[in-house]
Amino acid sequence: MNLDLTWRLLKGGGRRGLLGTWLTLAAVAVSTALLLFAVAANFAFAARADRGAWRTPVPAEGRPAVAVEAARFDFVRDRAITVVDLAALDPAAPAPPGMPRFPKPGETWLSPALAELARTLPAGELAARWPRQAGVLGDAALVHPDELVAVVGRAPDDPEMTAARSEDWIAGRPPTKVADLRGRTSEDSEAYQVLTLIASVLMVVPLLVFGGAAARLTVARRDQRLAALRLVGATPGQVVGMTVAEAVIVAFAGAVAGVAAYALALPLLARIPMAGGPWYAGDLWPGLLVVAGTLVAVPLLVGLSAVAGLRRVVVSPLGVAKRETPPALRFVRVLALLAALAAVPVLGMGVSAGVIAAVIALAFLCVNLVGPWVVALVGRIAAATARRPARLLAARRLIDDPRSAWRTVSGVALTGFVAGFIGLLSPGVFSGDEGPPQLRLAVPAGQTAEVAGQARERLERAGVTATVAESKKTVVAALGSSADAAGVDRARTALAGLVPGHTASTEADDQRFGTQILADVRVGTVVVLAVSFLVAIASAGITAASSILDRRQTYALLRLAGTPLEVLDRARRTETLLPLAVMGGGAIAVGMICAVPLMMGAMNATGAITLLACVVLGFGGVAGAGALSRPLLRSVTADPAPRPD
Amino acid sequence: MNDVLVGRALVKRFGQTVALGGVDIAIRAGEAVAIMGPSGSGKSTLLHCLAGIMKPDDGEVHLLGQRIDRMRERERSALRRTRFGFVFQFGQLLPELPAEENVALPLMLGGVARQEAVRSARAWFVPLGLHGMEQRRPGELSGGQAQRVAIARALVTKPAVVFADEPTGALDQQTGHDTMRLLVEATKHNGASLIVVTHDPNVARACDRMVEVRDGRLLAGGVPA
Repeated sequence: MNLDLTWRLLKGGGRRGLLGTWLTLAAVAVSTALLLFAVAANFAFAARADRGAWRTPVPAEGRPAVAVEAARFDFVRDRAITVVDLAALDPAAPAPPGMPRFPKPGETWLSPALAELARTLPAGELAARWPRQAGVLGDAALVHPDELVAVVGRAPDDPEMTAARSEDWIAGRPPTKVADLRGRTSEDSEAYQVLTLIASVLMVVPLLVFGGAAARLTVARRDQRLAALRLVGATPGQVVGMTVAEAVIVAFAGAVAGVAAYALALPLLARIPMAGGPWYAGDLWPGLLVVAGTLVAVPLLVGLSAVAGLRRVVVSPLGVAKRETPPALRFVRVLALLAALAAVPVLGMGVSAGVIAAVIALAFLCVNLVGPWVVALVGRIAAATARRPARLLAARRLIDDPRSAWRTVSGVALTGFVAGFIGLLSPGVFSGDEGPPQLRLAVPAGQTAEVAGQARERLERAGVTATVAESKKTVVAALGSSADAAGVDRARTALAGLVPGHTASTEADDQRFGTQILADVRVGTVVVLAVSFLVAIASAGITAASSILDRRQTYALLRLAGTPLEVLDRARRTETLLPLAVMGGGAIAVGMICAVPLMMGAMNATGAITLLACVVLGFGGVAGAGALSRPLLRSVTADPAPRPD
Repeated sequence: MNDVLVGRALVKRFGQTVALGGVDIAIRAGEAVAIMGPSGSGKSTLLHCLAGIMKPDDGEVHLLGQRIDRMRERERSALRRTRFGFVFQFGQLLPELPAEENVALPLMLGGVARQEAVRSARAWFVPLGLHGMEQRRPGELSGGQAQRVAIARALVTKPAVVFADEPTGALDQQTGHDTMRLLVEATKHNGASLIVVTHDPNVARACDRMVEVRDGRLLAGGVPA
């Protein structure tokens, strides 16, 4: 019976009631889609790490070894090629992932992207490095579809499988006897997973806040309706039941729409380049279990949020109808934030990723908790100093309902936290060497003269003009100033295999890992900030619209008594931008405090520009979202006396 | 003739419905006039046309000899703020403002400094029996007290005409009677005219003159004898 009545109230809510319902549905849909993205990103990096694990060999250690595995990086143009050398010790050695069988000595299997490059570039620039191409690797061998990978079959006594190699994992993996080809996740993929977890926390908190705001979108109208039901004798249980039912029905529809929107956006999201390439769309699909969990959790959270918003109605049926002075917010909220900030120095003590994520999430949530308290304080100060009516109206409104005012700006203010955090962590640029390119080749001690001679011979044969010099353990081929990328690749190809286990590389090649991480942090920053801003500005727009709908009678009567529309609009703007300025600044500061223990150097220009852009975008976005609801304000006040009575 | 507000041949239609079918009405300075009629008779529409809230489809409205029905919305809005006062059934006070700031608001909107506006507003509290209620919010006032605050707000700008739409509709009989008496007395004391829309004969009796509207037309009393 409750459900039936709820459904009828939901359907019969009138044009503006339905508008509120649609706004809630849209907000939940956006939240759900972005929530799936934040969660799926973790699964996607985990899937990548799993698929790439076979290239990080785990020593057999006591178990019978079936193969020897080594890995290093080669380069073409400005891209890295992962070269995996495999030698079978046992005829029953298992086929590596993405291959139908174990490669025979001398055979090379290339990834589709590398095979395509080998076809399109002149052989002397790439293909000549692997003369016997036996096949193309399947997706199971690759981290992402554009990855450049070469799997080379070797004999166990091949110099490539016996020569000493660097132990630095950034340079590659030395030959290792393995019992299987399962391997383990690499250090860089683990770093990406930690960064993704932090990014997810940064995105999920505003999403939860947004979800809460969406649930309370039309709470004033619902408050009044349910308070009326309480007055006519509905029990608190019935009121709670109807609230939950209404919120859950709308939220479930929104969650389904969000899942559909995410599925439709997958092909676009898969094109975001990260860690060297785009994504397999399947990696970004979090799986049926997560989707089902989201479809249950989102309506549940929205329902709970709606219940929390209606506590006053349930406690006292006159609570809403009489509009009493709200109780002051407690200072304990500020103490909670201070306690969270006190835990921040722990982050610099080498704690696990989980602890880092938990402390950041805690600080983030505490900023959200302290927001309404600060808004009320700002309101009191503004009310005491207001000289013009618009400012007085705004200030009194902030004091009257600081939670509602906070909901409007919380998204953008919390994005300030993200911006402050990321702004301080943005790494600086790597400085490459200027001037003509040089290829360096590590050489075992005592062989430099011999290798330098062979290098000169090979380069000359390939038609590459270069000056070859030797130092203690390195041979350096300085190419002419006219050498372009093709010339560098011709030289690389000519020098391929000259020193077993080593690749001729430029300084930029050697800095590849750092450069890649830097590029990825930048992409990640843009993605996290884009998501946060999208949520924040949508949140500001929706709450601004719902605030007008909830207060339409007051606005209409004020307008009728001659209050200029500009005064009402200015009051609305002040009511939003005043707490935004204070709390946005505060959130940026808290974000920066959280980032200090994790900083790797001084704040750089990129971080400063990111921060500045966020401040401009935040204010502009909220002001713009507020301006979008001005026609609605005009419409609710345009005809203050529509009744032909 | 000292007519403050005059409506001539006022016509207002809502689609096919004729809310006003050619109404002539004149209000004298300091006069309290009750507009009576059943629901849907057109009495609120007449009030809205006279107050510049609505533009009539035909006819003229003059305030102190100045035609106001042709004014643009911005001008009519300024006129309502400075020359008119309004008292409604309920919902007219801003719930987040204390009572004294609700009363001071029209003055502040007219450019009066806040301190002076609040000082002027406070002066209305004692005569209207609201002493000690200055800092209370509307939710903390009784229905009668809230209406008295609304009367103070309507009169604080010293308007030429006060419009009241069912001002006692949400009050019990005794409180309604007291409120109506206060409204008429305070308006007259202030030298303003009062136009009250009501369907309650007791309310109408408190006024100097009564006009009755039926189906968009005045039955009698539109122009004072």
